[in-house]
Amino acid sequence: MPRPALRTLAAAGAFVVVAGLAAACSSGGDDAQGGSEAKVALALSDAGCAPNPASVPAGPVTFTVTNSGTAKVTEGEIQKDNRILGEKENITEGISGDFSLRLDPGTYTVYCPGAAQDTAELTVTGQGGQSQAPVDASLATATAGYKQYVENQVAALVPASKAFTDAVRAGDVARAQALYAPARYHYETIEPVAESFGDLDPAIDLREPDVEPGQDWTGFHRIEKSLWTQNTAAGMAPYADKLDADIAKLQAQVAGAEYQPAQLANGASELLTEVSTSKVTGEEDAFSHTDLSDFDANIAGAQQAFELLKPSLQAKDPALATQLQARFTGITDELTPFRRGESAPGIPAYVDYSTVSEEQRRVLADRVNALAEPLSQVSGKVA
Amino acid sequence: MTLSRRRFLGRAGLVAAGAGAAGGVLAGCSTDTAPPPAVVPFRADHQAGIDTAAQDRLAFAAFDVVPGSTRADLVALLSTWSAAAEAMTAGRPVPGENDDQNSPPADTGEAFDLAPGNLTVTVGFGPGLFDARFGLGAKRPAELAVLPALPGDTLDPAISGGDLCIQACSEDPQVAFHVVRNLARLGRGTVVTRWTQLGFGRTSSTSTSQVTARNLMGFKDGTRNLKVEDPAAMSRSVWVDPADVPDAGWLAGGSYLVSRRIRMILETWDRDVLSDQEDVFGRAKGTGAPLSGGEEFTAPDFRKTLATGTPAIPLNAHMRLAAPENNGGTAILRRSYSYTDGIDQTTGMLDAGLFFVAFMRSPSQFVTLQTKLGGGDALNEYIRHTSSALFACPPGVRAGDPGDYWGRALLEG
Repeated sequence: MPRPALRTLAAAGAFVVVAGLAAACSSGGDDAQGGSEAKVALALSDAGCAPNPASVPAGPVTFTVTNSGTAKVTEGEIQKDNRILGEKENITEGISGDFSLRLDPGTYTVYCPGAAQDTAELTVTGQGGQSQAPVDASLATATAGYKQYVENQVAALVPASKAFTDAVRAGDVARAQALYAPARYHYETIEPVAESFGDLDPAIDLREPDVEPGQDWTGFHRIEKSLWTQNTAAGMAPYADKLDADIAKLQAQVAGAEYQPAQLANGASELLTEVSTSKVTGEEDAFSHTDLSDFDANIAGAQQAFELLKPSLQAKDPALATQLQARFTGITDELTPFRRGESAPGIPAYVDYSTVSEEQRRVLADRVNALAEPLSQVSGKVA
Repeated sequence: MTLSRRRFLGRAGLVAAGAGAAGGVLAGCSTDTAPPPAVVPFRADHQAGIDTAAQDRLAFAAFDVVPGSTRADLVALLSTWSAAAEAMTAGRPVPGENDDQNSPPADTGEAFDLAPGNLTVTVGFGPGLFDARFGLGAKRPAELAVLPALPGDTLDPAISGGDLCIQACSEDPQVAFHVVRNLARLGRGTVVTRWTQLGFGRTSSTSTSQVTARNLMGFKDGTRNLKVEDPAAMSRSVWVDPADVPDAGWLAGGSYLVSRRIRMILETWDRDVLSDQEDVFGRAKGTGAPLSGGEEFTAPDFRKTLATGTPAIPLNAHMRLAAPENNGGTAILRRSYSYTDGIDQTTGMLDAGLFFVAFMRSPSQFVTLQTKLGGGDALNEYIRHTSSALFACPPGVRAGDPGDYWGRALLEG
């Protein structure tokens, strides 16, 4: 779970990059298409944010978010199937902001948190299909492969976290502690995907310092704190139940998700950001010190995305592909000395992170940064 | 008698110090309103940033090469760094894609609208680069070795040494920082940043066109610095001669860089009486004149004594001990900057002082001077050398040779 500010970035940067793409395409393609770009106004008010007009033809759409004098509502989002496609935040009175999307026919949700009626419908009419930029075959294979990977990870997450929550409900602290890291592993491999589903990631993976006043702290870390600092699972059963329910929601969400090549690349970069900002510092698993297990999972998830994009990347920038391969090896080699068998079949276990010295953490951080820099170049190659 | 002399000098000093401060403000204004042509050529026989009139701001970084890197990685690193430095010194962004919505821009952007401000970027190679890792051992200049322990050293290894260094100087601090940030980014995976130091104000004048700057102790220290307008002195004391490096010809035309982070214990210094402050430096605080008399640029008379029979310039005065005539003619090109890094958490005192940077033909020049200063300098009561590094700066990237880059003669020669 990243810090709150990063979560917003994750949404805007990793998975809404498609919106950015669409914006870039639409601004270039307007004239060629005869200036047919639709415009939709979203006026934020205490009451809501009904789009005007409420129906537009498929293709590029520019949304203009304005604030009609509300202090409560400062954000407008366009969602499809509970995923944020585009958004504008911090629209206070007197401020306006635009974003553009290329929309296929269908029904979309306008969302403005804080309003009395915080959702509204937007209908996109016309023929589907042609708005998608042509995708080369290897990239189509990559995105299909990634969808499969995400579904497989979540399919493994469900029983692994169930085993963990069962132990919590049974009050078996030792067993719950042993099952904590392997349960999280399958979540950490695909965390950026979960982050794209609005409030699911905070519900599952919020860390204590990021809990906002009035917010109910739930998820893995809520239970982690009790297990390790109080050595008890007492009172944790409701959180175990909620975690099961949230992961079931995640499974339903990923079943309907589709991915763009740039999402794979940016998701991989997001995973590296996760490693360098919260795992290397030991902030992620502050009580259990199982940070290296999450670290491994983040790297594994990023590497999976890279491997899927590699055929296309090799055609476009073979030097970058070679460099990335070497740097993935560099980081996994650096992790190896800390490995201690498995925490579950196929899930690597690691030493307690509090035993890893400052110098060793610095070396790990250097390796992560060495990988993250070229990895950030991939999205521009495959987009 | 002594007392009255001190009191007299003290008054004169205070008045002159006030005038000096006002002059400094005016000079600052005139620089802002009438910017000079602000681009220093990147390609030249010698690297820029040595014989360049000292700019106001410094960003310095030392790097270590990541284990597992090869000589080919170094070639790639230094080629990339050279191209980026050439662009930035000309006021252009780091080469690469800066407009693709789907990629992080090649340039980080904070210098986009800023004038280069005489930006120079200077690279140096530390002794560690010549160990077994890259097969460069045979090309190590004999004098490129970790500086010996010197009197008064209280060095922190974490902010000392390094395999490579970058010195970025500009009139604009953001332009200088931009260089270090972007070169560190370009080098990621091959090098990691070992330590960095910002300098917020030059304390050296390296050109006859510049007034002598003051250090944080309030003194003009460096009146007698080498000046770049004196090519004979530069050749004698700054540039490495081919004959100096029979086994390391790649360094001919280059120079050695010594850096020392010298923390000043400013709180105790500020409680010292003016007469003693002046005795410590051997100069009047206000005018900068030697205590033997005259004005700032009057040659000091080390033999002059007061009526009491004591030397006008005390025997342990900083200026006496550092003077070339008292060190067999040894001179160095000082190019130092004031720094502050917040406070010392233990004592609550300012962590501020001088980031000493000097260029020289041989490290022995610094060793000679610092051996003498570290042993007997009256200034030692108020300073601590907290970091030390030595780098060999290769000659400049050649004009008219697009394939040339920093250190090519070392890595490919």
